[in-house]
Amino acid sequence: MQTLQLLWAGAAQGMIYALVAFGYNITFSTSKILNFSLGNVLMLGGVTGFVLYMTRGVPFAGALAGVLAVGAVAGVLVQKFAVEPSLKKSSQYAWILATLAAGIVLRNAAEVFWSTDDFKMRSPLGDAPLRLFGAGGIGVYPQEILIIGVSLAIVVAVETLKSRTLLGKAVLAVAEDRETASLMGIDQRRIILLSFSLSAAIAAVGGLLVAPITLVSATMGTVLGVKAYSASIIGGLESGYGTLVGGLIIGLSESLTARFVSTGYKDIPGFVILIALLLVKPSGLFGAHVIRKV
Amino acid sequence: MKEAAKGSRPPTRLARRLAPLLALAPLALPLLVENQYYVHGILGRILVYTLLVASLDLVVGYIGDVSIGHAGFFAIGAYTVAVLTAPPSLNGDSAIGFFPQWPFLAALALGVVLSAAAGFALGFPALRSSGPYLAVSTIAYGLIIYTFINEQEAWTNGTKGVTLAPLRLFGWSLGGNRYLFVVYPFLAGVLFALHNVSRSFWGRAFEAIKNSAVAAACCGISRAYYKVSAFVLSAGVAGLAGGLFAELDSYVAPNTFSYNLSVEFLIALLFGGTRSILGNLLGVTVFVFLPDLFASFADARLMVYGVLLLVVLFFFPEGVAGLLRRGWARVAGAGSDPDRAALAAAADAVDVFSAIPRRGGPALVLEGVTMRFGGLTAVNGLSLTVPQGTVRGLIGPNGSGKSTTVNVLSGLYPQTEGRITSFGHDLGSLTTAQRARFGVARTFQNLQLFHDLTALQNVLVGLHESFRANLYQVALGSPAAGREEWKARVRAYALLRFVGLEAQAFEKASNLSYGQARLLEIARALAVSPGLLLLDEPAAGLTAAEIEAINEIVRRIKAAGVTVLLIEHHMDMVMAISDEVTVLDFGRKIAEGSPAVVQADPAVIEAYLGKHTAPAAARE
Repeated sequence: MQTLQLLWAGAAQGMIYALVAFGYNITFSTSKILNFSLGNVLMLGGVTGFVLYMTRGVPFAGALAGVLAVGAVAGVLVQKFAVEPSLKKSSQYAWILATLAAGIVLRNAAEVFWSTDDFKMRSPLGDAPLRLFGAGGIGVYPQEILIIGVSLAIVVAVETLKSRTLLGKAVLAVAEDRETASLMGIDQRRIILLSFSLSAAIAAVGGLLVAPITLVSATMGTVLGVKAYSASIIGGLESGYGTLVGGLIIGLSESLTARFVSTGYKDIPGFVILIALLLVKPSGLFGAHVIRKV
Repeated sequence: MKEAAKGSRPPTRLARRLAPLLALAPLALPLLVENQYYVHGILGRILVYTLLVASLDLVVGYIGDVSIGHAGFFAIGAYTVAVLTAPPSLNGDSAIGFFPQWPFLAALALGVVLSAAAGFALGFPALRSSGPYLAVSTIAYGLIIYTFINEQEAWTNGTKGVTLAPLRLFGWSLGGNRYLFVVYPFLAGVLFALHNVSRSFWGRAFEAIKNSAVAAACCGISRAYYKVSAFVLSAGVAGLAGGLFAELDSYVAPNTFSYNLSVEFLIALLFGGTRSILGNLLGVTVFVFLPDLFASFADARLMVYGVLLLVVLFFFPEGVAGLLRRGWARVAGAGSDPDRAALAAAADAVDVFSAIPRRGGPALVLEGVTMRFGGLTAVNGLSLTVPQGTVRGLIGPNGSGKSTTVNVLSGLYPQTEGRITSFGHDLGSLTTAQRARFGVARTFQNLQLFHDLTALQNVLVGLHESFRANLYQVALGSPAAGREEWKARVRAYALLRFVGLEAQAFEKASNLSYGQARLLEIARALAVSPGLLLLDEPAAGLTAAEIEAINEIVRRIKAAGVTVLLIEHHMDMVMAISDEVTVLDFGRKIAEGSPAVVQADPAVIEAYLGKHTAPAAARE
């Protein structure tokens, strides 16, 4: 029973990683770029949600709309001011630093203009755990159900849109070959901008979702962003559904280690799995194996 | 003879003789200045952090891998020194008392060794993956080390940190401003060594791997060896920086070594500019001074820093040092390389083919070589023999397997079946780099030059195997290593002259025209001193005059006794300079013989032009 509860809590946490990892996957598939500021965009979503819902007393639906808007705009700004300029440079990995720097600016801005403290956020579904399987059974927080449901819905919806709609086909075409796609009349710059905006909005929603089960603070996104990055790499950067597997591996290894070893070491197994996996499968579990032509 | 004697010594400059005196100047500061804040606090920190950023530069700037985990190596050095030198009396109720009390220098040395060992471990993921895949491994390494020192109460005193006693040597205090006497010699020594290494064949090997790992292997450079070495060196220097840092504040705590530190130093490196010691120093100086300058809004330090980095990435991709370098070049005037005249004079005495190996047996024998990619058979049971000292043309329509054959011969693809022998040696078990060292060199159809390096340096990478100096000689700048480097430069210059590129010797490869780049490919391949040279479409995209120049070069290469396998689409070129021609179609050999015989072969005509069918004949 206790193990089941652990697995459930780990899965909920893992879904948050998966959600941000999915955000990495979306921009990587259109532009071969990971937006390393996504962890801090998640923080921005959490903080915006907290300010609107807790401080200002805006209804949850309004807070959600605000979070989505803030996330989408943050994605566009990061793309315009950090990614696009760095792509013009010869340095192959300038975008890594540019997006990291954008994330640092976001975090520090939240510290300066909002607060450096930690805050507890109420769940819109209430903070009392539901008891499953009778009184001695497992306790499930409604927020955890919300996290898992919403995360799965987002991933499935976006993946379905990608494979079923014309816009999705355009995204796949840009992912395959940017030059050819633009010759076919697809405005690849708009597709890339859209992917940054969408991924950031998803990450911001992740912030709103995770806030009630952790604490809201300016630093809540840093380590979370790194773990989501690990999750996306474990799943394979090219694979949308792979991020779910990666997120679950990190989330579950964390909750199991916290319970059976020590909370202090909960991050270690996930990282060890990551390093070991990359030694065996350099492009993750479901990533594409690239053959370089000479 | 007189010229050769003059050319055997590298030119020295006045600035180089004065530099050591100038380098000693900062050592006077502790004697002259009482103020602790600026000398110990600020300058001491700058010196230690510069070491860390310089170590990061080895991996990021030279090897081209992004590491976001160097805080981990820094921590290993710092904690090794901390736990082995901290007195138990200053760290009540902790396990520090169980550790032996070591002298500072011994603990520092162990810190360097342990950190280098951790770098060795990180080198292996770096061989398998790159870019975002490797960056995440480095983060994971850093965070694992951070978690360990944060949680391990028994070993590291956990979050409480370790307090060290101020450093004393022979009863003389080295705390406060005098700590500069310890830090500065290390910094100067390491930077001197790194400077020497980065400008030697080691540094060129690093950059070659960064620019084109495949071409580097074809120059005989083992990617595994140099990449792992770079990680080991880098981690060792980062560990040294950490050990020195531990004594700087006489206190270490886990929080210093978080993920943020790795990110901030990466930013400092990029801000200052990679592959530049001056850039390392400038980046760190700004990084340390910034909170001081903006004391009123120290909280917003990172915001300012992030925006600054974006601005730098935007406008000066080569960092502050790159900006200064460009400004200096404008003042000093471009192309004023003082070595050119000396190189040109010394190159007169060089025979560029003197190191070509002389062996018996045919230059190349293929027996039933087959290469399959999944279901596709690109080369199908190919057998051919190329006698020594001849030029063999290898032609065929698009997709006939010519380029695949070259890739199999140079070891980039392992053949599915068959046997490849060169001068009586089986090449089957050799890696690409080993084949290059054995004497099989190649050029690339789609140019694979090291675009960050100059034309001369590109050829020097080809000469990699001729260097004998070990890493210590290189790092210390020994006269033997200097002589060897000079001889190689002369040889490289002679090779550039051989292909007619000496005027572009100091031009970056990325600035060369298409035709010049093709010539540079040949010069670099010749630098390997090959017995067998594989030319993969050397004339693709060239004008008639440029093709004629290449024809002439191939004839001279042949005259020097080098066997050439020429893959080309230009029929007139192949027919003009080949002794014999082999024709491929759909991976099979369909004809072989002298140019005249092959040209008349009906199978060849059919493969290129198609078959005369009845309706076509009727139309005539």
